[in-house]
Amino acid sequence: MGKKITIPFGSQHVALPEPIRFVFQTENEKIVDVDVDVGYVHRGIEKACMTKFKYMQVGYVVARVCGLCAISHTLAYVTAVERLMGIEVPKRALYLRILVSELDRIHSHLLAMGHLAEVAGYENLFMHTFRDRELVMELQELVTGNRIQFDYACIGGVNRDLTPEVEKELREKLKTLKEKVLWLKDVYENDYSIKYRWKGVGVITKEMAKELNVVGPPARASGLATDVRNEFDYLPFKEVGYRMVVRDEGDVYARNMVRAEETVNSIEMLFNVLDGMPEGDIKVNVKGLPEGESFVRIEAPRGELFYYVRGNKKMVLERLRIRVPTFANIPVMRELFVGMEYADVPAVVISFDPCLSCTAR
Amino acid sequence: MKLNGFRKKSPWILHYNTGSCNGCDVEILACLGPKYDLERFGILNRGNPKQSDILLVTGPVTKRTRDRLIRLYMEMPEPKVVVAIGACACSGGVFRGMYNVGNGVNNFIPVDVYVPGCAARPESIIDGVVKALEILEKKKKDMELPHRCKELKRESSRRKLLAECTRRYHEGR
Repeated sequence: MGKKITIPFGSQHVALPEPIRFVFQTENEKIVDVDVDVGYVHRGIEKACMTKFKYMQVGYVVARVCGLCAISHTLAYVTAVERLMGIEVPKRALYLRILVSELDRIHSHLLAMGHLAEVAGYENLFMHTFRDRELVMELQELVTGNRIQFDYACIGGVNRDLTPEVEKELREKLKTLKEKVLWLKDVYENDYSIKYRWKGVGVITKEMAKELNVVGPPARASGLATDVRNEFDYLPFKEVGYRMVVRDEGDVYARNMVRAEETVNSIEMLFNVLDGMPEGDIKVNVKGLPEGESFVRIEAPRGELFYYVRGNKKMVLERLRIRVPTFANIPVMRELFVGMEYADVPAVVISFDPCLSCTAR
Repeated sequence: MKLNGFRKKSPWILHYNTGSCNGCDVEILACLGPKYDLERFGILNRGNPKQSDILLVTGPVTKRTRDRLIRLYMEMPEPKVVVAIGACACSGGVFRGMYNVGNGVNNFIPVDVYVPGCAARPESIIDGVVKALEILEKKKKDMELPHRCKELKRESSRRKLLAECTRRYHEGR
């Protein structure tokens, strides 16, 4: 039996750009207890949406919950309000929403993969991944007008149309992006040193994932076939060639590979979206005020995102509730840490791709 | 001094998120990436406040992060520069007036450079950091007070005089 040592990880740390605090109790490099504190970035968005902003503005406020999955938050809110008010959204707008949300997923997944490589000490691969990620950022800027925090979806449709020139450039750049992502996937899959760093580290079994209700790529990496895109029809994903990626190892390596394969699938979907883009309007006029309640589930890059909206015929909503994917993944993170080597902590934390701005809101 | 030369050629940055939405943080990461290479100015991202010269702050300051921010600022050695990145860090942005935020970094620590935008673009972040380097240079010059050198000289001559006196005193004896 060794001496017990307390090691704080955060709230300011090199490996994490976000303020989260873990306090590890370690014994001979093994973790015996862990304390998680996620409340550093609480800003009170839910309250502000219920008091300060009108229901038309809330879509742009909830985009500021998280910069990485901004479109997912807006999309969830907008879909919920549309279902509440019975608005028929044009098909072209739905396709444009798929386009942007999948671009967002690609950039988020590439960021997670690059970050994981950096934490493993593989600076070169991090740089390669970030170089290819810049291509996606350029595409986002072409389509929406901003690199991050694009306010694309609005109640009743989308804010900006796709011009033929942009579409042509989109196709060309997507072709290069696909080649590069396939190359990256090959490196992540077959690299010799990465294999030893990641295989068999932080394993979540299928039973554990089921019991602790894991969502997103970590769940799919441990053999649990959950994906909201498959279960809930908020956008016509099945028309554009969506397929679920499931692996059954459940370690850091598998989580990374799920992300890589989903990126490839997203790019294929984007080609199909561009091919089958219907003609027509991108927006319908919205009349009336929301009344009643509705909830929507959306697959954000990190997993299932849940929105609950209740209105009572006023300009300001009565209740808005956000449940985010990282919040669902924190219990299993805690379970994993106990009994693990301390040196594996950064890799495991980053492999979940935690988003604390979402969690604390 | 040699250290000041190093500080000019290779300032190290410290990055702290005081409740932002990760948008600006990701843009800072993109700045350190290969396309907009901040490292070509010799700038490295280090987590240790005691080794850093430039503090990059993103986000409106929430109640929990406020104390950490002030502590990080106090731990950094002089001269230091603070860069507020994004609309939230400049003034509170869309979060202005919410119950848990403090509306901008300048309410708690002095800010030298403001970078606007939601999210701030990498080009403007680089502009802000380069501007911060100029301010760092200026601050460094202000710190080197000329009379301090004179004082040192006087002290050394006084010590010589004292030694001379002691020698004579001993000789006389």
